[in-house]
Amino acid sequence: MLESELHDLSDDADYAASQQQGSASVMLRSDSAKQSSPRNGAEIVFSKDNVAIHPTQFASERISGRLKLIKQSSSLFMTWIPYKAHSSEARLSDKDRNLYTIRAVPFTDIRSIRRHNPALGWQYVIVVLSSGPSYPPLYFYSGGVKEFLATIKQHVLLVRSEEDANVFLVNDFQNTLQRTLSSLEMPRAVPLACGPSNTSVDESILIENQERADNGANDGRFSVNQFHGRPRHKVDPARDLSIQVLEKFSLVTRFARETTSQLFGENQSNGFSPIDRRTHIQTNLDHPKSSNVEENTSVESPVVLDSQEFDNLSLVWGKPRQPPLGSEEWNAFLDSEGRVTDSEALRKRVFYGGLDHELQNEVWGLLLGYYPYESTYAEREFLKSVKKLEYENIKNQWQSISSAQAKRFTKFRERKGLIEKDVVRTDRSLAFYEGDDNPNVNVLRDILLTYSFYNFDLGYCQGMSDLLSPILFVMDNESEAFWCFVALMERLGPNFNRDQNGMHSQLFALSKLVELLDSPLHNYFKQRDCLNYFFCFRWILIQFKREFEYEKTMRLWEVLWTHYPSEHLHLYVCVAILKRYRGKIIGEQMDFDTLLKFINELSGHIDLDATLRDAEALCICAGENGAARIPPGTPPSLPHEDGSFYAQQEQDEIL
Amino acid sequence: MAAPPARARADYDYLIKLLLIGDSGVGKSCLLLRFSDGSFTTSFITTIGIDFKIRTIELDGKRIKLQIWDTAGQERFRTITTAYYRGAMGILLVYDVTDEASFNNIRNWIRNIEQHASDNVNKILVGNKADMDESKRAVPTSKGQALADEYGIKFFETSAKTNLNVEEVFFSIARDIKQRLADTDSKAEPSTIKINQDQSGGAGQAAQKSACCG
Repeated sequence: MLESELHDLSDDADYAASQQQGSASVMLRSDSAKQSSPRNGAEIVFSKDNVAIHPTQFASERISGRLKLIKQSSSLFMTWIPYKAHSSEARLSDKDRNLYTIRAVPFTDIRSIRRHNPALGWQYVIVVLSSGPSYPPLYFYSGGVKEFLATIKQHVLLVRSEEDANVFLVNDFQNTLQRTLSSLEMPRAVPLACGPSNTSVDESILIENQERADNGANDGRFSVNQFHGRPRHKVDPARDLSIQVLEKFSLVTRFARETTSQLFGENQSNGFSPIDRRTHIQTNLDHPKSSNVEENTSVESPVVLDSQEFDNLSLVWGKPRQPPLGSEEWNAFLDSEGRVTDSEALRKRVFYGGLDHELQNEVWGLLLGYYPYESTYAEREFLKSVKKLEYENIKNQWQSISSAQAKRFTKFRERKGLIEKDVVRTDRSLAFYEGDDNPNVNVLRDILLTYSFYNFDLGYCQGMSDLLSPILFVMDNESEAFWCFVALMERLGPNFNRDQNGMHSQLFALSKLVELLDSPLHNYFKQRDCLNYFFCFRWILIQFKREFEYEKTMRLWEVLWTHYPSEHLHLYVCVAILKRYRGKIIGEQMDFDTLLKFINELSGHIDLDATLRDAEALCICAGENGAARIPPGTPPSLPHEDGSFYAQQEQDEIL
Repeated sequence: MAAPPARARADYDYLIKLLLIGDSGVGKSCLLLRFSDGSFTTSFITTIGIDFKIRTIELDGKRIKLQIWDTAGQERFRTITTAYYRGAMGILLVYDVTDEASFNNIRNWIRNIEQHASDNVNKILVGNKADMDESKRAVPTSKGQALADEYGIKFFETSAKTNLNVEEVFFSIARDIKQRLADTDSKAEPSTIKINQDQSGGAGQAAQKSACCG
């Protein structure tokens, strides 16, 4: 998959900056080329810009840098140096940058390189060190993984793992044949004199850019030690976190159970099997309040709970849900003129309890970003009237198409036909939309058709009527519903892209999160060839609209729209549901078809509050590690400003 | 309605995967609901993504488990839905007799099949909503038949609403596929092995699965 097919990065600030860096580096590189004289023998054999890591979910907090392979004497080194911070990246301190910087790691210290070729998203590699730890995934935003591996292969012994074609083993001398080959053909593959700790690349070639000089050399040469510096046998950070999540859940469960026991007496049955008691002993957690579970975990007993055991634990962990926000409390969030004084507190409150139905009409516009939080009552009223006119103008564009004109306007006819077919199939069992000639169904049609003129490139796609229906129900006003829908589609529009890249990036991120938070389940899906996560397609496309009853869907949506713990909480909701049923999925050895059927039939049987609590807990637990697994720009993150996202949509689109 | 776990003993002689394709709103889900549940609902909903239903029928003394996949009709979902073409043994091409565009699009759908499905997949043409008043009909039966003849495939006009020809369509394509599988089996291997394969069910199912979702 070509990166350029997925995202046009030309309007990306990071990208533009890196291009500048790139051109600057051409000169610098020629300088360094001069330095690669026989005097020190250092030579840059590979250099790639726009190789990034994702410390958090935000695109702006992606750390882009340059990956290089440097040959000195007969040794090969890898460096990855982040670019100097832009002002837009103020949140990333130099400390962060130093933390992730890879300074000249010799290939004698590298055990393997795993290449990841997601169906959609950028290629990335994970470099695993012989000592166990691995660097964070390096995303190749401008391609070049193949070239990278090919270059390595020219200089060190690199063989594909027999078990996994995407794993490349570096200097793997376990295999006799390889050893023989290497001794015969690649005498310089492993320079014997090269001890990992006393080898150093000439600093002159490391100091290539000014910002590099800023970092100084006194941070310690191997920054990875700061990143994975704990003296424990970390095999795979993702797996560790997965265990940690299991432990945290079991920890809290025990904590909750003990509390319950104290309250109700020891004979109280809580539905826990004796198994989880054993689990708690094994995980060796004696300090329920300890914030650093990891530290307390005995290295020798990284207990991966078996699925049955895990399912027996009560998963519910996040903070208790609150009652919906009511009018009185809502008014306390407003100043005398109607401004929301503390939008974060409001979002937090809505996150934990949702809204009373009477408030949804007023607050959804704020949550969706249709009105700014700092707007006054009067400003909102003014905006409404202006926007109403604007809406009428766009609506008039298609209303003025005569039937004679329509005959020569196939695209319009088809689009209108599709919308008309769908609105009569949207939530018709609901009183608001039921019955013949229901005016609300016509409003639904008009808004969708108007939207398809407002955003002609995106047009109409099935699923949009599902997203609009609750909005119209709540706003109960055509223009207001339209603009709220517009605001929602700013974020979810990519779900409906013709090439489905918005969906693929979310499914991809979901697979990464499951890998992080439940590696046994991930491995199960992998083994069953289910890593495309198509079985979660409907969940994500229409934000669980078909999974919950109407009221619950609206509750879930307003919670998601707060973006409170994460913009991508919906992905953690997916993980939470999958985790909840993992015992059944693995226990019954579900294959893809059975799994898809099972997931589709969960509709109407998912406990929303418990799921939200789990999702919150998982999100907090995953923290930055989770955020780093969600590629920048993954919906519902806001796309780039210029709308080029849709530009290539139309090419062979029939509708 | 869920498929049995893979390890369960097979309760059928043949597992046949069918796929319903055609424009949005032609009645694919309704045909499927009629055939699998024997019901018709007027509270229609659009199909998001993909789903399937199971019905086991008996043909010439053999139990045939039909796994029938229902897809979203809109062009835009095709990157997802075409992933399912490969596993399909038979494809029902559905149009709406009151909607000429849906009929004209059948040629596009066939092109799609040629690109993504296995070469020997069985096809059948289905003109649905045949119960509708003649005044609303936009595609005469003769036109449907002519198109089917052109492609050398069978043709039925159906009504999911009145249950016209619904059984016939599914039984017809199932019979053809069963015949094809039986022919292939007897050519390829001794019949004793064939029986073993049929009985193993679960393993066979799993093998087909990876072809389908991969």
